[in-house]
Amino acid sequence: MINTVGLRTLLVKEIKRFLKVWQQTVISPLMTTALYFLVFGVALGGRIDRIHGVEYIEFVIPGLIMLAMITNSFLNAASSLFQSKINGTIVDLLVSPLGTFEVLAAYVAAATVRAFLVGALVYAVAASFTGPSVNNLFWALYFGLMVSVSFSLLGLIAAIWAEKFDHLSLFPNFILTPLTFLGGVFYSIDMLPAPWDVVSKLNPILYVVNGLRYGLLGTSDVPVMSAAAAAAALATALFVIAVLLLGRGYKLRA
Amino acid sequence: MAGFRDAPPPRDPEPLRVDRVTKRFGGFVAVDELSLEIRPGEIFALLGPNGAGKTTLIHCIAGLARPTAGSIRVFGYDTGAEFRQTRRLVGLVPQEVSFDPFFTPHESLMIAMGLMGVPPDSARADALLSAFALDRHRDAYTRTLSGGMKRRLNVAKALVHRPRLLFLDEPTAGVDVELRKDLWGEVERLRDAGTTIILTTHYLEEAEQLADRIGVIHRGRLLMVEDRDVLMKRYQGGTLRARLDVPLDEIAHALPPGAQRIDRHQVAVSWSDPEALADAIQTLRSAGGLSDLAVEHTRLEDIFVELIANADDESNGERGTA
Repeated sequence: MINTVGLRTLLVKEIKRFLKVWQQTVISPLMTTALYFLVFGVALGGRIDRIHGVEYIEFVIPGLIMLAMITNSFLNAASSLFQSKINGTIVDLLVSPLGTFEVLAAYVAAATVRAFLVGALVYAVAASFTGPSVNNLFWALYFGLMVSVSFSLLGLIAAIWAEKFDHLSLFPNFILTPLTFLGGVFYSIDMLPAPWDVVSKLNPILYVVNGLRYGLLGTSDVPVMSAAAAAAALATALFVIAVLLLGRGYKLRA
Repeated sequence: MAGFRDAPPPRDPEPLRVDRVTKRFGGFVAVDELSLEIRPGEIFALLGPNGAGKTTLIHCIAGLARPTAGSIRVFGYDTGAEFRQTRRLVGLVPQEVSFDPFFTPHESLMIAMGLMGVPPDSARADALLSAFALDRHRDAYTRTLSGGMKRRLNVAKALVHRPRLLFLDEPTAGVDVELRKDLWGEVERLRDAGTTIILTTHYLEEAEQLADRIGVIHRGRLLMVEDRDVLMKRYQGGTLRARLDVPLDEIAHALPPGAQRIDRHQVAVSWSDPEALADAIQTLRSAGGLSDLAVEHTRLEDIFVELIANADDESNGERGTA
């Protein structure tokens, strides 16, 4: 027995929540990414050689889309759940007849909607400079979906664990941003000296960035199947952790 | 799936059966092997000092906490294994007022309704807003409401799915007299409509006025559960205060037994039943002429204080002999 009305309500509520502050949740990340694109792609890109046969300005587009999708899927789930813990409205959720999977599905789906919205806008801005480019739509959507699901799950895990805003900010500041910048957004790992090219392969974000790069441009530092498996493994691991925490009511139910 | 459109039918007419429930937080026992049965359609007042375990018990029933041991059944459904059924039957007004700053009162009620599995019903949300005098603020942001309005919205949210068992955890804490009276009226209307209500409160006057039965909890244990009328009758009595025309020194020999002097003309006499009260009045009248008279009845507050004090004495005694 699934509480479909409850699931739909939570999903719609979460989407409405971020749309009510669209300047902050949609336009602001678009502006940030556009600045990256202008500085690294347009201003500096002309001084950098082609990578894997594509212009540098095109090379950075998939990474910038992933950067936006990672940040927005994480923040949507994390800030919503954490705010409801702080303002007490988490009680409405905890006393409702919603099961663990329904709660997870609603939060993850809403965060995925926001990530795809922002990702699509970033792509549209980029395409206005370089022209549209899609090598393989399936892989582009697959990696977009995997990254949105994974990082919204990480956002939920962070919000469940966090007891104050400082805890929550640890994730974007000390995990997401470093891993993303070191995950091949702005360079190919072929450009790194040993052993950093090998060390980089421990970074899961490298695989999703290169996976999307393959989907859009047809080029990647890693085989697309390896990237797909790594992305699925990341999503699965985070899903298991989120299910365990939410199912046990860790830091949510006394 | 269709089961969520309507509340599940009661499997058992008994709204709540708590069976030897214990809740521990590390070494601290908040609820200690507590058992309780609630009758259909009653208002049950759960009283106890701060930290007695009232809120923890309610949280265990509503799903905000997991009992360490014991079982809880709501209308025959187990709150653990059959949480979807029990949560659909239970409404909770938490002690802390909470609100989502992103949404209006109308939207908040629609969301609360949906989370409970009830298909969105705008007319139902409007009716609740009207019942709680929030209709003029239907589309205002919730953060702009006054404290009293936010509390009323919290009560309305707990009613969106027409719960059969409603918990009110100190619903009138910090609200003004007028709003308190309004809430009492709403509680009585809900009871009359068949809702079973469990109320925790610090205002003993509230329990005295509303409750059909009263339970006193202290240190996680139920000290007593009794019908309000039986309880008040058992502890009936009080104090008679009288002012006499004649100075007390002159009629000391004629005062009723146990009379205590307040000042030169005033005396206080304890009484335990109406006959004793009548005798005391007659004695004082004969002794020196009554010029003023006040009869004070034992209040629930006195009973409550006595019960808690006795429990503490017993507990200290046990510790002393251990």
